[in-house]
Amino acid sequence: MTQTERSAYLVIAILAVLVLAPMGGLLSLGRLPGFEPQDLQFWQSTYIRRVIFFSLWQALLSALLSVVPAILVARAFALNGNFPFRSLLLRLFGLPLVVPSVVAVMGIVSVYGSGGWIPLGRSLYGLNGILLAHVFFNLPLAVRLLLPLWQGIPRHHWELAEQMGFSGWHRWRYLEWPAIREGLPGVLLLVFMLCLTSFAVVLTLGGGPKSTTLEVAIYQSLRFDFDPVQAVVLALLQLSLCLLVAVVILKMQKLPEVEISISSPASESRDYRSLLNRLVILVAGIYVGLPLASLLIDALSGPLAQVVTNEYIWQSAGKTLMLGLGAAVLSVTAGWFLLGASSQLANRGQLRRARLVEISGSIIYVVPPLVLGTGTFVLLSDYIDVFSWVYPIVIVINAMMGLPFVIRSLGPAMRQNQMRYQNLCSSLALSGWNRFIFIDWPLLRRSIGLSAALVAALAMGDLGVIALFGTPNTATLPLLIYQQLGAYLIPQATATALLLLGLCLLVFWIIERYIGGKDDA
Amino acid sequence: MQLINRVTSVTFLCLFFAYAAQAATPTLVIYTYDSFTSEWGPGPQVKKAFEQQCSCTLEMTGLEDGVSILNRLKLEGKNTRADIVLGIDTNLTAEARATGLFEAHGMSLENSALPDPWDDSMFLPYDYGYFAFVYNQELLKNPPDSMKQLVEDPRGPTILIQDPRTSTPGLGLLLWIKKIYGERAPEAWAKLSDRIVTVSKGWSEAYGLFLKGEADMVLSYTTSPAYHIIAEQDRRFAAARFSEGHYQQIEVAGLVKSSQQKELGREFLAFMLSDRFQSLIPTTNWMYPATLEASKLPQEFNALIDPSPALLFDDKTVARERKAWVNEWLETMVK
Repeated sequence: MTQTERSAYLVIAILAVLVLAPMGGLLSLGRLPGFEPQDLQFWQSTYIRRVIFFSLWQALLSALLSVVPAILVARAFALNGNFPFRSLLLRLFGLPLVVPSVVAVMGIVSVYGSGGWIPLGRSLYGLNGILLAHVFFNLPLAVRLLLPLWQGIPRHHWELAEQMGFSGWHRWRYLEWPAIREGLPGVLLLVFMLCLTSFAVVLTLGGGPKSTTLEVAIYQSLRFDFDPVQAVVLALLQLSLCLLVAVVILKMQKLPEVEISISSPASESRDYRSLLNRLVILVAGIYVGLPLASLLIDALSGPLAQVVTNEYIWQSAGKTLMLGLGAAVLSVTAGWFLLGASSQLANRGQLRRARLVEISGSIIYVVPPLVLGTGTFVLLSDYIDVFSWVYPIVIVINAMMGLPFVIRSLGPAMRQNQMRYQNLCSSLALSGWNRFIFIDWPLLRRSIGLSAALVAALAMGDLGVIALFGTPNTATLPLLIYQQLGAYLIPQATATALLLLGLCLLVFWIIERYIGGKDDA
Repeated sequence: MQLINRVTSVTFLCLFFAYAAQAATPTLVIYTYDSFTSEWGPGPQVKKAFEQQCSCTLEMTGLEDGVSILNRLKLEGKNTRADIVLGIDTNLTAEARATGLFEAHGMSLENSALPDPWDDSMFLPYDYGYFAFVYNQELLKNPPDSMKQLVEDPRGPTILIQDPRTSTPGLGLLLWIKKIYGERAPEAWAKLSDRIVTVSKGWSEAYGLFLKGEADMVLSYTTSPAYHIIAEQDRRFAAARFSEGHYQQIEVAGLVKSSQQKELGREFLAFMLSDRFQSLIPTTNWMYPATLEASKLPQEFNALIDPSPALLFDDKTVARERKAWVNEWLETMVK
């Protein structure tokens, strides 16, 4: 076992403890008076069977409808190297991730609701609305994750294709598709998980309890019913279903068939303009842009000045930023160790073990934060004053939730790097810190930047964990938005949401600029 | 090394003073919901007013809602830091009582403004309200005047409601319909279900969608129009008065048994019932204060609909039947 593998297994062990210990804590409650499991046959009922079926069905549909068009959009971006606002547009594509679900619902309704720009009337509520919202959240994310795969295609392959007079189709078939195939299943899995655990969007746009996901059932059992045992059983059920899907999806993953040589990757963008590609970008931009634009319009017509001059809101903004950046650093570090090991394993042909390492880092996402948070609380409250540890706990949980994003955005680049330079590094006896500084950092900084930005955005938009522990003084921005909405202050909430988006855009810009290097996106 | 020493001693000094300060002024810890503690809720003014009279520190922890407060208390048990719990409603008091974590308040509720007499020895009410369907008077000219009409008119208004599995008003509507229809509640829901545009996770989503014009009516409170009138000078919104009466929500506070500050806790409960606290409630929590005379309410409140008779199940019935009734509702709604 190499040192990299050892550290990866250490990270996995820590993750396992962080997931299983809280569940154990909740289960141990089941033996105390007042917490007895109320209905152990619950999980066999027709209700829960229906919930399972619906959760999987909507998640699968949402994932396909997000990722398949995302391939077209990412390709259009990859082949259109330069056009005005290209990098701004790509940064905007990072925003839906941070939009709190209730704000996103309002944005979707502004566009497609009965008084909206493209009124769908009541047919919005049901599977239509769920899919519209999930594609809004996930298509841009998938584009961001898929786009780097094109940049991984070595320059001389493009040149060769050009010399041989490849048509667009041949280029796709022999050059692009093999490169994308490696990353595609992972992106599909990530989007699937995001949609599987979707909750407020599904309930509100789904039209009623026919659209209930497992996440709703878990929430219900841990809140109104307060039945910790049932909550853990359901969480484990969700985890195993997801594991099953992960194994199936990642089976499709193929390592690139192209020969690997030590040639520089094509860092500059290609330029194969076509009308169709531009049209694809335009349509995707409009689709993602409309709900954001409606939010912008609402916020600008509201009391924006009153919100931005409020000192308390800036305190919240500071706290939100701190939590986001903290989670990003922790998550990228943990992801680095996991991916280092998995790419080493893959390089040595131990594909199954490599995949196992990746899966273990990915599927944590489907353990509901409510379960993790409550369980952590149960475990720790006997030993420490949990209130004074709220921020570290929230950072750790958000970093865990962000890990799948790191694995998807950094994984493919790291594996390619490993294949290209492992032998070189061995022969030069370059390892550890030196290798990081001279080989890995210059080549991977762009992917590191993207993954840090994504995790930061995710954590900044998170509501679940912090709401659970309670707020002694300053709320985070998403929590503040919910509080404002709960107090009829809808215009103020919209303005605060705009501030959150602005902050997120700034974080994206700074991280991608200073970590990602100059030729961003 | 010298620097470290200095830092350490400064830290210890700070800790000492902090401790000394704490020893001098006692701290009263209140668990409540976060819309109470937020900047525009009653929290900041309550804290200021009470600290002026008690020479103590009031520390409020804002949790998500009443259900979260009770769950937190159950998790912490006797080790809880809370001295007072403020913000659970009468749908939860039976469960709260059953935890054995509360102590009798030993006070009497004078000048109660509640429609029915209050005889709970463990919890004291601080405000109350009624669920109602709110509509825009310019857009809906003939709102239903009874639940029966709302349920039975197939061409009646479309509505937005909340899910009883996740939200307090959602549970309120479930109980409201149960109170009126009893065993025939599933039939009523079946008739209504075609006109339910959507069932949202919480109040905010449904109310937001209503303001965007997604349905004719939204499940909210009889006091909601008061917000629009007082804060926005907008008189378009009204609550529809239903002749069967409106389901009531009473929010209460209780003294925690393990508290070391019971005297201070009782002082707070007395303060809670005083006019100083009560007069903050209408325009911060947008509910009816529990003891304030009607003449001291903002005049806009007196122009709101008369929701009588007040409908309410006793807390034991709710605790016993809630799960079965929610499941019954689910079965009807997924058909």
